[in-house]
Amino acid sequence: MKVSIDLDKCCGHARCNAVDSELFQLDDIGYALHADIDIPPGAEDKARQAVGECPERAISLD
Amino acid sequence: MTAAQPEPAPACPVHDYTPYELKPLGGWTAFYDELRQEAPVVRNEFGRGYFIPTHHEDILAVLQDPETFSSEALVAYEPDPSYKWIPAMIGGEEHRQWRRQLGPYFSPREIEKVDARVRARARGLIEELAGRGTCDLMTDFALKFPTAVVLEVVGLPEDDLPFLMALEEDINHAIGDPGDVIRRKVTAIDAVKRYLDGKIAKRRAEPADDLITKSLDMQIDGRPVTDDELLNWWQFLVQAGLDSVAGMLGYFFHHLATHPADRRRIVDQPETIPAAMEEMMRAFSFIVTGRKVTRDTEIAGCPVAAGSMVQLALKMSGRDDTFYDHASTVDFDRGTSNHLAFGAGPHRCLGSHLARRELRVALEEWHKVIPDYRLGEGEPITEFGRSSGVNTLPLAWDV
Repeated sequence: MKVSIDLDKCCGHARCNAVDSELFQLDDIGYALHADIDIPPGAEDKARQAVGECPERAISLD
Repeated sequence: MTAAQPEPAPACPVHDYTPYELKPLGGWTAFYDELRQEAPVVRNEFGRGYFIPTHHEDILAVLQDPETFSSEALVAYEPDPSYKWIPAMIGGEEHRQWRRQLGPYFSPREIEKVDARVRARARGLIEELAGRGTCDLMTDFALKFPTAVVLEVVGLPEDDLPFLMALEEDINHAIGDPGDVIRRKVTAIDAVKRYLDGKIAKRRAEPADDLITKSLDMQIDGRPVTDDELLNWWQFLVQAGLDSVAGMLGYFFHHLATHPADRRRIVDQPETIPAAMEEMMRAFSFIVTGRKVTRDTEIAGCPVAAGSMVQLALKMSGRDDTFYDHASTVDFDRGTSNHLAFGAGPHRCLGSHLARRELRVALEEWHKVIPDYRLGEGEPITEFGRSSGVNTLPLAWDV
């Protein structure tokens, strides 16, 4: 499973990071560090949760 | 023949109420819920009039379109403000530069570093109260705790707390004739700026490990920030840091004092606190912000002309039952924190990570020491239709 983050839409709420700080890492000002994230097996539910948690709808499943 | 203003579109019901009216706690929430049932957009004629989107989707759309909905004016009935809160009232590339430079000091990583100091502040205040058996949560804790944290982060002396709190009262809580309220607000904003002006020279002479010192080196478009810009930024920081967290604590503790099962859950399972907090922020968020319209547009089919003001009462989003199931119920198991209590778009609250940490620490530390409490005797609890919390919250507990 892969996840994409639209970095222009990301406004640094860090709700994805609150779901899983390893999967959804932040830069030095608290915005998404990576635009493309590979989701390891077993972490699919966390990825889906993060998609729903983003107030900006910046995260999508590929 | 009357020189009439264009009629609002028929789909946009028109009201005429003052947001300065004090209602009993819950009164403004109930009123906003009614407005939502009426239409996706309503209009209030107060001041020069403004539009109020009542659903989550439209509020989010406005916040995500800063070019159409500019933050040059943030208060719907103050369309031409004489003050300039930085970086909130700045847009575009300049705004991005401010947020890039301020961001590191408010990032989750940075906030983690101040956890111990924030906790010590909370504990100190709570331990002072614990033996008394009663308090006014607002004046004795909620207004002091966040203010003290901000003073420490910014680099201002603790002794100046009462002075700044009195000015903050005028900025956010003045009651009375609207013209008088605005005059008091502007006077207080100027007073905070004059007070902060004295700190610039001091810090240039003797740099300290605080935000005032760090801000001095900031650059916009390759040139140093001016003293005026610094004052506008710090004044806004002091103001933003005081009221929002205090107001949120007021609503949190009111809910917990009146819902023993929810309070017991927090006491017995403190790991629930982060989820409980997010749910209460969704349900009780009281921040009311606004935007100025820069070009003719529409919101949910309602035509909105350039120059209009739009009011964004964030509670409208949180309690929208087309977006959240059973929106008016606080449910600690809801499992989502995608609310707009901190806004959205480029102006998403810079202090959101600090605010979340303060709120979490307050709930954690309070319930370790005072796990059982109830509403106490006191003045009626009231709230404004402005961006303000409750005025008082008497609590009582057995000692």
